[in-house]
Amino acid sequence: MKLGDDPEVEAFRKELSGFLDANLPRPEVAAQRSRSSAHVPQWAREWQRLLFDNGWLLPNQPPEYGGRNATLPQLLAYQEELSRRRVYQSFNPQGISIIAASLLSFGTAEQKREWAIPILRAELTAALGMSEPGAGSDLAGLRTRAVDTGDHFLVNGQKVWTSGAHDSDVILTFVRTDPDAPKHKGISVLLIPTRSEGVSCRPFAYMTDPVNDVDFNEVFFTDVKVPRENLVGGLNKGWAVANGSLGHERTMLWVSYAERLEDLVRDSAPSGEHGDNEWFATLQLDLQALRLLGYQQLSGTINGTANPAGVSVLKLFGSEAVQAASRHAMEEHGCESLLFPHRTAPASHMNLDNFGSSWFERYARTFPGTIAGGTSEIHRNIIAERILGLPRS
Amino acid sequence: MEFEFDEDQRLLRQSVRETLAKTKALPEDAQWSTYTELGWLEALPVELAIVLEELGYVADPTPFLATATWFAPLAGRLPDGAGACGGAGTAVFDGAGRYVLDADRAAEVALLTAEGVTIVPGGELAAERVATFDQRLHVAHVTAPAGTTLVARIPDLALMGLAITTVGACRKILDTTVAYVKQRHQFGVPIGSFQAVKHKAADMYVAIERAKALAYFSALTLAEKDPRAHRAALMAKAAAGECQQVVFANGLQLHGAIGFAWENELQFYLKRAVAGDLLLSTASVHRKALLAAQAPDTANGEKEAA
Repeated sequence: MKLGDDPEVEAFRKELSGFLDANLPRPEVAAQRSRSSAHVPQWAREWQRLLFDNGWLLPNQPPEYGGRNATLPQLLAYQEELSRRRVYQSFNPQGISIIAASLLSFGTAEQKREWAIPILRAELTAALGMSEPGAGSDLAGLRTRAVDTGDHFLVNGQKVWTSGAHDSDVILTFVRTDPDAPKHKGISVLLIPTRSEGVSCRPFAYMTDPVNDVDFNEVFFTDVKVPRENLVGGLNKGWAVANGSLGHERTMLWVSYAERLEDLVRDSAPSGEHGDNEWFATLQLDLQALRLLGYQQLSGTINGTANPAGVSVLKLFGSEAVQAASRHAMEEHGCESLLFPHRTAPASHMNLDNFGSSWFERYARTFPGTIAGGTSEIHRNIIAERILGLPRS
Repeated sequence: MEFEFDEDQRLLRQSVRETLAKTKALPEDAQWSTYTELGWLEALPVELAIVLEELGYVADPTPFLATATWFAPLAGRLPDGAGACGGAGTAVFDGAGRYVLDADRAAEVALLTAEGVTIVPGGELAAERVATFDQRLHVAHVTAPAGTTLVARIPDLALMGLAITTVGACRKILDTTVAYVKQRHQFGVPIGSFQAVKHKAADMYVAIERAKALAYFSALTLAEKDPRAHRAALMAKAAAGECQQVVFANGLQLHGAIGFAWENELQFYLKRAVAGDLLLSTASVHRKALLAAQAPDTANGEKEAA
């Protein structure tokens, strides 16, 4: 145990800071706002391309994929620096960190060239088609069917909660290719271009704003022909792709919760007029503890000593800490929290800027944190079974 | 920063566990002389935390905690003297001499007074042991010698020490609970397969991980004389108190009636955990102290020291 930083990481951090200081787009350039997680305005495409060309997009990848072969501690420093400055490396975050990253891990050379690199260079945007009306926490129960006809797959079915689908060029879609196999063993992954005949997207709004906050989609597939070369990771090998799709991102997901907690420390200091302030101390404990547990998980991952289920602890703890503190901040501000539209934090043009809105909205927006990426209930089960060794139900 | 035990620290933990497994059934003074002979009292803060976590895990009955984390930081040395537990020490730093750990059996007592630290032989001090729920816990009320004015200022090391000891007791409660819900069957299955039970156990685990991380961070800031040490100690003590609230309630609840029975050894750890929160003030007091201590480090906690 030691407090000091590794000189290699500090040099990396310094170089990144220098790059960001010199190259961050100015607010007037970034006037056009992104309307969904796959809608990338021209200035944001240029920003992402600049990061790609300079090896700052996915730093742990080699240069041909927009990186510089960074180590895991350097990658953590990268996430921390971007988070602290509230900078998105991409306005199609799932495109680069899930879809392109999955293709780099599981795709063919041609898929990397045709899909991964254009997504990384912001020439294409992508969405992730996992959840279905009947398959949420039980993802392996998905029913969208793909029939192998010999020269293509014929896809029929429906996805839902597909973030940004209506603005995306391609959907990485989890489909059932073998209905007779055990449910985890009959799943495959297809790259389905949204312009394919038979694909239709129906976007629908978040509870926060019916007009400006439209990211969710229902996606319907009706006799969609998908070329065989769009199969990712092999026939019936989709579950491995699902588990590997977040890769190191999963180990670092906690950084975004630490950032939310830090925002709350900055924005919500109680005046002391509304009684009990102790939640503000709890918030600071949570922030410090989350960082420590995050570093611990990272060291353990590098040394091969970490239980992978430790990531569930970080996700559960981080998302619930943000939720609890946000509720307290909302209560602290009383009826003012109901104002809409309203700002509670300095404006920021380098992200979607949703987290500086009204206190009610900030609280409401913590729920995707406890629902998406495995609900809190699922993560508690994982901790109980894979860390504490309790029997499966 | 590197927040994992190094090889030496892992070996120390292993050897502490092995030692405690052997000394478990020995009388108190034999346990005490084993600890002192192994040099545990001289351990630096992180290593001391490793020892204390394991002592908390076995609800250690010796005056180790008071000697290492109450007396030593005030006196700047270890105590002299003999007694049932030879060379035990404690300190009065609450400004009142109330509920002082091991004051009834300390060879020396360090008093924090308006004039500074005064060290008094335990035999010369009026210390009256208080009967408590935990029969293994020694606490006493101390009457300060005439003419001394006691002052209140809790050493950070004492907060850290009680925090990590409490975490150790909580870990024992969780382990005991997990073992119990795996073997206890109802409706034809182990109760540990029920989601309602799993979720309570998972919450215990998360609370312990959080408190343990903050306790070791406190030890690390003390070891490196980092400017964040005081805030870290307040955080550690608050988190340990919060942790025991969850662990006590869920652990006793999941044991059902057997957990409430005298014959079940769970009681020792439950009592040790609660005492860990109540001694040197509860979580709530330390949360308030943290808010009063200074403005939070908003920019970057890791950078503040630089």
